[in-house]
Amino acid sequence: MTMKRKLALAGALMATVACQTKAPVANEVVAMPVAKLPAAPQDSGWSAASEHTAKLLPQDLVDPRLMKASTAEVRVRAVASGSEIAFRLEWTDPVVNDLPGPGRFLDGCAIQIPRVREANPPDPQMGQAAKPVDIAFWRADWQASVNGREDSIRALYPNAAVDHYPFEAKSIEPGSAVAKEMAARYAPAQAVGNRRVGPRVSPVEDMVAEGPGTLSPGPGGSRGKGERTDGGWSVMIVRKMPEGLAPRQRTQIAFAVWEGSKEETGARKMRTGWIPLSVKESK
Amino acid sequence: MARVYNWQLGREMSYWYPESRPQRQFAAVFDTNKCIACQTCTLACKTTWTSGRGQEYMLWNNVESKPYGFYPLAWDLKLLDMLDGGKWNGSRYEGQTVFESAPAGERVLGWRPESEDYAYPNCGEDDCAGQVDGGASMAMPHMNWFYYLARICNHCSYPACLASCPRGSIYKRPEDGIVLVDQGRCRGYQECVKGCPYKKVFFNPMTGTSEKCIACFPKIEQGIQPQCFVNCIGKIRMAGWISKPQDARPENPIDYLVHIKKVALPLFPQFGLEPNVYYIPPVHVPTAFTRQMFGPGVDDAIKTYRNAKNDPDLAGLLCLFGSSEMVMPRWRRQGDTVTGLDEKGNALVRVPMNEPVHVRPAYDKLYQIARTNCP
Repeated sequence: MTMKRKLALAGALMATVACQTKAPVANEVVAMPVAKLPAAPQDSGWSAASEHTAKLLPQDLVDPRLMKASTAEVRVRAVASGSEIAFRLEWTDPVVNDLPGPGRFLDGCAIQIPRVREANPPDPQMGQAAKPVDIAFWRADWQASVNGREDSIRALYPNAAVDHYPFEAKSIEPGSAVAKEMAARYAPAQAVGNRRVGPRVSPVEDMVAEGPGTLSPGPGGSRGKGERTDGGWSVMIVRKMPEGLAPRQRTQIAFAVWEGSKEETGARKMRTGWIPLSVKESK
Repeated sequence: MARVYNWQLGREMSYWYPESRPQRQFAAVFDTNKCIACQTCTLACKTTWTSGRGQEYMLWNNVESKPYGFYPLAWDLKLLDMLDGGKWNGSRYEGQTVFESAPAGERVLGWRPESEDYAYPNCGEDDCAGQVDGGASMAMPHMNWFYYLARICNHCSYPACLASCPRGSIYKRPEDGIVLVDQGRCRGYQECVKGCPYKKVFFNPMTGTSEKCIACFPKIEQGIQPQCFVNCIGKIRMAGWISKPQDARPENPIDYLVHIKKVALPLFPQFGLEPNVYYIPPVHVPTAFTRQMFGPGVDDAIKTYRNAKNDPDLAGLLCLFGSSEMVMPRWRRQGDTVTGLDEKGNALVRVPMNEPVHVRPAYDKLYQIARTNCP
């Protein structure tokens, strides 16, 4: 048998196997065009899209590193509508971590796409100088805040006893400009406009990076929602369509997952390299 | 990692960044022998800086009883254990620092306190080092001991918090060496909390950022000592500026106490951060304990301190502690008077070394009445 024939036979065998698979696993993330984006992670609209299972690797390239692998994979579906594209990330995580505090860390996930679509994409590890990546970051504590959890220390520590906040003195009218100004004095991050400060209006934050350690606030507009599933998280993130991405065009996407119970935060995360991202043509 | 010189270790060491010393370095001397753990410093700081939401548990300044007091729990014991105690050869440290012993994937050897570790700031308060049996309190000297250790951020020359931050959100001000967390840049990863061996960086769950002692820099910029210094009723503290050992000037109070008399010592120098709060060690504590805490200079420091009654310059300078709210970058003694001076040599405060003694007769002849001893 010639080599050419061997290859042809192997190809036919693989095609047969693929046909027998109920839900073919795409080797890229393909966004299915839909009339309307799903409103929640468990909407039926997501079934229109094929699922891509992305293997996760520990971030072990720059310090501080994640030395022990945790979450093994993230299952991704994507749909597109008009100028927006939506992703649903699902992964196994039996422990909910949505309470911030000293020594406490939060469950989260993120998608990363190069700002410019090009043949030679930036470094998948947070981009590189002059080649920025756009990141949309979802976190479980922000979701809890959006879902209505009170923005107070007692919501985080139910048994907390607080003697007194100066801005809640009897002589100061609650909610007044004086009270707010005084409260800001004791919240310097709030005073300088750091978006870490609660309460959150969105569980998703837009960021831009040009390499490890350069993460900074990015252009806004992304939104999303996360829900608990049986033993994990299901999170949808909606962002604007990447510049120049259209049917028969490709860009790249990368994913990251943080497992709070494993003290994963910042660079200590499970992540993928670049995965091709395309949008399927409308029928 | 870069190679830098740490004079407290008597050798070079590894650090995440190259050596870059500020134009001048904020420093302080605390006299542990005068501290009564009244916690006025703690409250002065608390009411000034950390009365907000998410800061409830924070004590940028705290005073703990040693040997059994800790905030957070066992902060020093845990790291000493991880460093295997550290080993000195004379004045040279031959053990490993937190930078040199950083495990793979870490910038600094450290550990993260949990919420509960901060829940007992008065743990071990006034607990003696050993059992006090019946009648022991009447015996002198007391066979057991404890002492008070007041602590703030050490505004280290080689801060581990700064080295730990992967975002460069922590910086050391070039004008005064004060170490600050950029509240606009911090993303609350808590790497600094893990990396600081003194556990003087705190995560604020309401702002999502880490916060720390700022050495009251708005006051320092005006030439005024920080809140915890000026409110200290025991007058145990003096703020100022420290030079490198080879540049030490006797007219600089901090230089005089640290470099010239060597009576004030760094806290856990073996960690390798070159901390800039210096302690006059307690004179009544077994030096096996204090050597581990303040380094190999403890025995000489105690000897020098005990001899202050025969050393008018040292005794005089100690009289300047708590005498003015102003930072006194220079000082001089003339006879029985000690003067704190500004940079230009202008007098900020004059203090007599010996207060005049007035004896009031027990019986007041003018009013024909016996005086009591009540003030």
